[in-house]
Amino acid sequence: MLKILSYIFRNGIATVANPCPPLEEDADGMPALTENSCSGTGCNECATACPTDAIEVSNEDGVGRVSLDLGACIGCQLCIDICPTGTIVRNRSTRLAKKQRDDLILTNHESVLANSLKRSYEADVKNKIRNIFGRSLHVRVVSTGCSACDLEIGACGNPVFDLERFGVHIVASPRFADVLLVTGPVGKGMRDSLLRCYAAMPEPKIVVAAGSCSITGGVHKNGYAEANGVDKILPVSVYIPGCPPHPWSIIHGILLGMGKVQS
Amino acid sequence: MKPVVKDVNILGLANTIKDWLHARTGARFGLLTSIDGKQLVTLVLDPKASAAECWISEVSDNTYKTLTTLIPQSHWFERSIYDLFGIVPDQHPRLKHILLHDEYEPTFHPLNWQEMGKVGDKTDNRKKTPILSETLSQEKFVSTGAKREYKFLQVRGEGIYELPVGPIHAGVIEPGHFRFNCFGETILNLEIRLGYTHRGVEKRLTEIHWRKASFVAEAASTDTACANALAHAIAIESLFDLEIPAVAQALRTVALEIERLAMHIIDVGGLCGDIGFSAGAAAAGCLRGKALRMGQMLTGSRFMRGFILPGGVRKFAHQHIASMQKNMQDLRKELDELFELLAENQAARERAEKIGVISKSLAEEFGVVGVTARACGISYDCRQHFPHGLYPKIAPPIALQKGGDILARTRVRIAEIRRSTDVIESVLQSITGSEHIIKLSNDLPANQTGLAVVEAFRGELIHLLFTDGKGAIKRYAIKDPSFNNWTAISIAIRNNLIADFPLCNKSLALSYSGNDL
Ligand code: SF4
Ligand code: SF4
Repeated sequence: MLKILSYIFRNGIATVANPCPPLEEDADGMPALTENSCSGTGCNECATACPTDAIEVSNEDGVGRVSLDLGACIGCQLCIDICPTGTIVRNRSTRLAKKQRDDLILTNHESVLANSLKRSYEADVKNKIRNIFGRSLHVRVVSTGCSACDLEIGACGNPVFDLERFGVHIVASPRFADVLLVTGPVGKGMRDSLLRCYAAMPEPKIVVAAGSCSITGGVHKNGYAEANGVDKILPVSVYIPGCPPHPWSIIHGILLGMGKVQS
Repeated sequence: MKPVVKDVNILGLANTIKDWLHARTGARFGLLTSIDGKQLVTLVLDPKASAAECWISEVSDNTYKTLTTLIPQSHWFERSIYDLFGIVPDQHPRLKHILLHDEYEPTFHPLNWQEMGKVGDKTDNRKKTPILSETLSQEKFVSTGAKREYKFLQVRGEGIYELPVGPIHAGVIEPGHFRFNCFGETILNLEIRLGYTHRGVEKRLTEIHWRKASFVAEAASTDTACANALAHAIAIESLFDLEIPAVAQALRTVALEIERLAMHIIDVGGLCGDIGFSAGAAAAGCLRGKALRMGQMLTGSRFMRGFILPGGVRKFAHQHIASMQKNMQDLRKELDELFELLAENQAARERAEKIGVISKSLAEEFGVVGVTARACGISYDCRQHFPHGLYPKIAPPIALQKGGDILARTRVRIAEIRRSTDVIESVLQSITGSEHIIKLSNDLPANQTGLAVVEAFRGELIHLLFTDGKGAIKRYAIKDPSFNNWTAISIAIRNNLIADFPLCNKSLALSYSGNDL
């Protein structure tokens, strides 16, 4: 016992004080777009390389336009490595979660950018929910994919990230959960169980989708298992991109759902 | 690695396999599958000779006599062939669906070529990835006629009750269903139903261009991303005649061992958590983070995604080696401290000793692999036998235990953590040079078979692929170590208390998604 105590004291506090800092220099992170236009008419190299078909290159008035869907992106870096014009660059931010699906679609097309900024964010109902959930939150995690996303959610609870300090608790039963945190692409085999879990939760409740699988199906999208993400069957309030998302990104997404941070 | 490909008659196939295995010490039944529903493919491994044979046996009328009665470990393979191809193993003692649930049409067999044509037209609307296979046969699809329903084994008698658990578990973990039959607190039988995370990974691997396929292979089970990417790379490279740069081989080894280190640590941590040793669990969480950080230094990603590619590794920055070495030294010290505390923890011993025992003979019969096998005294570690990374040249000695219980599995894990740190340190020291990837031609050779056998942190991982007449991949099969090991938990928990199940489960560290694909 004494040994354990001395061990605990020796190791001190591991928790990082300011949540959701950018990733370290050696991390690759996810892609971001600059306003650089593509060389000439758009070389299409990135779209050809992307393993999840997340990128579309079009040509408007002779200028290459790129749009990149972070909801499908797995952060493989191929497009960043290949892009000759610096249009696609690295983004080490961990604050990636968005409340609107469309806001995950990046573009170097200014007019589209302006549009997405203009859109009003919140309906009144959502604000109400935010006030109710503002202080403490119980989260039921349901995995429908591979365990990497789940391991990162597990990591949120370790002393470094310490999710509980924000009043967020991972709970075992949907009966007293406020948030359904879904990972994985929700293939046919999990659809029924997920719906039942959602139905067992009391109102008000929100759904958070963590990981590119849960947003679009990621690498699995449009297959015979119809694993195309959770918003095909349930209303989603927060989308957290990444494959898997970094623990800070998951925490940011949950805090965004609580209204404690802005996106 | 290139297997020897042979035609073998389906009549008496079980005996042919048995004889082959008998004639070679340590030989193993690797996997059983099909290419397009017209044949069975049997892969047998001879680890001592680093050799493998791939047998093709033609199936007529969609049925053949089951192998399970003579070779028990083929039981799940036959069930998955039944689901994916619609081939019926006649007289299988417990033929049930394993991957596809009631939501699928009873006649739907996604990897059967005739059926594949239909599915391709209907749902494959991925833009730039056409289905790359030979002209699909026009033959009428043959249905097995069975209704897709699932019946659990019944155990009857006074005082015997049934306890269903899952598919959604209490913790943050993948989904699967456990059906316990109990008497009092004792478990009489456990039946496992999986398939909830079936995503169609193997089919996707034949739809997508092979250059993008490694990201799909990784996602078969992203906690095993490195081992899966490595197996994919080796299987592709085995189709060509190439020399992979030494730096790439070294870095692949380091990445594979970092993955083992991180996952073994979290498994030991989970065990600490389950016995109420919270300080240990918290420490393991932090230490795993340090292992992941090393992975990030090497590859840019905590799970080392997209690092290992056919031809080599994606990137290499010399300057990170020194910081990785420093990190490794600290980590090793902290791990030692944690293990010392755990070894002295009386509760850990009492909860783990003689609980969840798997006998060596049953483990052999069911082809159990990895830590679980080595904990029952089976001396099998792919790093000793099959080429991947710098293995078998620098393979560390096998960590063996005899008990077959939770304690033995934990001890093997701890020994392997130590050996992984040794391997990482010594390989990092020896890296010289900078060429880390070579370019592969865009077209794969036609009508070839590629194979990889890799020791993932859970055990033997097999990737087997076949190319068609145009060099496109027509079948890609993955055998996750958990596919062998799920049966082990049913064996281990029999006649144990229900309260011991979580700990026992954790000590086996099984993958749901790798199994379901
Ligand atoms: S980083 Fe994302 S968008 Fe870019 S190629 Fe990879 S998956 Fe596609
Ligand atoms: S997003 Fe990536 S890590 Fe998460 S479940 Fe999907 S494949 Fe796994």
